[in-house]
Amino acid sequence: MRSFGKLLTNEWLKLYKKRSFFVPYAVLAAMVLFIVYLFKSMGANEGGMLSGYEFSAWLFNKNGTGQMLTFMAIIGSAGILAKEHSLGTIKLLLIRGQGRSKILASKYVTVLLYSLTLSLVTLFVGIAAGGAAFGFQGVETGLVGALAAAGIHYAYMIVYVTITFLLGVLTRSAGASIGIGMMIVLMEGLVVQLLSRYAFTKYLLFTHADLSVYLNGGTPPVQGVTLPFSLGVIFVYLALFLGASFVTFKKRDVA
Amino acid sequence: MNERRLADNETAVLSVDGVSKIIRNRRIVDRLSFELYPGEIVGLLGPNGAGKTTTIRMIVGLISMSEGDVRVKEKSIRRDFAKAIAHIGGIIENPEFYPYMTGYDNLKQYQRMTEGITEERIQTVTRLVGLEGAMNKRVKAYSLGMRQRLGIAQALLHEPSILILDEPTNGLDPAGIREMRDYLKKIAAEEGISILVSSHLLSEMELMCSRVVVIQEGRFVTERALGSAADVDNAGRVQVIFRVNDALKAQARLARMEEITILRVSEEQRQVAVAVRDAYIPRVVGALGAEGIELYRIEEIKESLEDEFLKWTGGNRIA
Repeated sequence: MRSFGKLLTNEWLKLYKKRSFFVPYAVLAAMVLFIVYLFKSMGANEGGMLSGYEFSAWLFNKNGTGQMLTFMAIIGSAGILAKEHSLGTIKLLLIRGQGRSKILASKYVTVLLYSLTLSLVTLFVGIAAGGAAFGFQGVETGLVGALAAAGIHYAYMIVYVTITFLLGVLTRSAGASIGIGMMIVLMEGLVVQLLSRYAFTKYLLFTHADLSVYLNGGTPPVQGVTLPFSLGVIFVYLALFLGASFVTFKKRDVA
Repeated sequence: MNERRLADNETAVLSVDGVSKIIRNRRIVDRLSFELYPGEIVGLLGPNGAGKTTTIRMIVGLISMSEGDVRVKEKSIRRDFAKAIAHIGGIIENPEFYPYMTGYDNLKQYQRMTEGITEERIQTVTRLVGLEGAMNKRVKAYSLGMRQRLGIAQALLHEPSILILDEPTNGLDPAGIREMRDYLKKIAAEEGISILVSSHLLSEMELMCSRVVVIQEGRFVTERALGSAADVDNAGRVQVIFRVNDALKAQARLARMEEITILRVSEEQRQVAVAVRDAYIPRVVGALGAEGIELYRIEEIKESLEDEFLKWTGGNRIA
C-alpha cells in the first residue's frame, strides 16, 4: 500500500512539475469569473433568483461550463500514459520492480484525482465569486445542492476520463486520445437522440452518463429507467474499459 | 575456453535459457542461451538486426518471451518479475528522463519506486558519475553525455547486481564513448557488479569486455573470452599452423603425441592446426622430420577479433 502511495506521488509530481500545470485551473477560474461578470452586468440577478450556490451548481451543467471542465479533464488524462511513450521514459518506468498493473492503476487514480481537483476549483471559485456577486440568500439550492451538482458532474466526467484513459493506453498518442475523447463528448447527445427509438439505447453508456436527470425529479433518459440501473450500466462499461486498458498494457511489448 | 572454467566454480547471476521471440512466425530471437557471472563485463555482439535489442528487452521484461525464460539470481523474469528485476539496473538505448524536471527530481522518481534507497545513496551515485553540479538543472538543459551519466546513476540507484546496457554509446562522440567506457569499468570494479552490454561496435567491446557472446539472426554464434589471455589458453598453449607436404600423414604422426591437440586439418592447403605449448614445438618439428614429412612453415594463429567477427557474422553485414 505504501509503495502505491509513492507511485501516486510520482505521478502527481510528473503533472505538477510541468510549468503548464496551473494553466487549466487558471482557465477555469477565469471562465467562472468572466461569467459572474457577464451575469452581473446583464442584470441576470434582478429578481434575486441567483445565489452563490445556485450559480455554482449551474456551472456544472454538462452542456455549458461543465463541458469545458470535462474537456480539461480529458486533456489532462490523455497524456498520462501516452507521454511516457513519447518521451521514452516508459522503458525506465517498467524496469523498476513494480508490476505493470500497479503502475497503470496509479496513473488511473491520478487522473481521477486530477479531475476532482479541477471540479473542486471550479466549485470553490463558483461559490466564492457567485456569493460575492449575488449573495448567499438562495432560492432553492444550498451548499448541498451545489455539492450534489458537482458530484454528479464528477461521475459524468469519470466516464469520459476513463474512455480517454483507455484511448491513451490503446493509441499511445495524447493528441489522438484528446481528439477522439472530445469528439465522443460532443457526439454523445446526438447518438442518444438518433438511436432513441431503438430499445437497446437503454443499455448504451451515453444514455446514462449524465445522472443529473435523477436530481430534482427530472425525467429519466429512457422511460422506466431508475438510478440504480443507470449506475449499473455505467459500472459495467467502466469495468470493461478498465479491463481492456489493463490487459492491453500488461501484454504490450515496449519496443 | 575460459568461460567454461568460470561456469564450473561459480553460479551465474543471469542466465538466458533458450529464449525465443516469435513475431508472425518469424523467429527474431531463436533459442538463445548464455550466462553472466559475477564481476564480468560481457558484450552481446552482433550486426544490426541480429536481435540484440530484442534480447535485452526480453531480459528486462519490456518485451514478452515466446519461449524460454531468463533467470536473475534464480528468480524468473516470467514468473517472479518484481523480484528478478530488482537485481537489474538498465539503460535501454539513450536514457530518457522527464525533461521538465531536474536531475535530482528524476532520481527521486526512481527512488520512490524501490524500497530502501536512502538519500545518501542518491548522493553517492551522483558523485560516482560526477553530476553533483548539475543535479538542480532541468534535464532538458543536459547534454547527451550528461544524460548518459544520469542514466548510469538511475541504473545504479537500487544497488543492482547486474547492469544491462543496450547500445550505451549510440550517438555519443568519441570523447563521450571513452568517458562511458571508463565509467563502466570503474563501476564494475568499485561496485563489483556484472555488466551486459550490447553493441555492434567491435572495437568498443575489445576495450571493455572480458567476454563476448556473438549472435546473428537471433541465433547464438559463438562466445569467447577477450583480453591478453586470449591467445594463450589456460594450459599455456598457443595455436600454430604447420604447413607440410602431406597433411594427413602429419596428422597421423601428431595424433600420437600426447601434448598436442589437433584443431583442424586442411588437406588441400596441406595445413595442420594444433594447440601446443611453446616449449614443445621443437620436438614437434623433430618428430615431423623423423617421419620424413617436409615442413614448410610454422605460423602462429593470431586472428584479430575483427577478422573473427567478420567470419562469424558473414562480413559485409556489419554497420
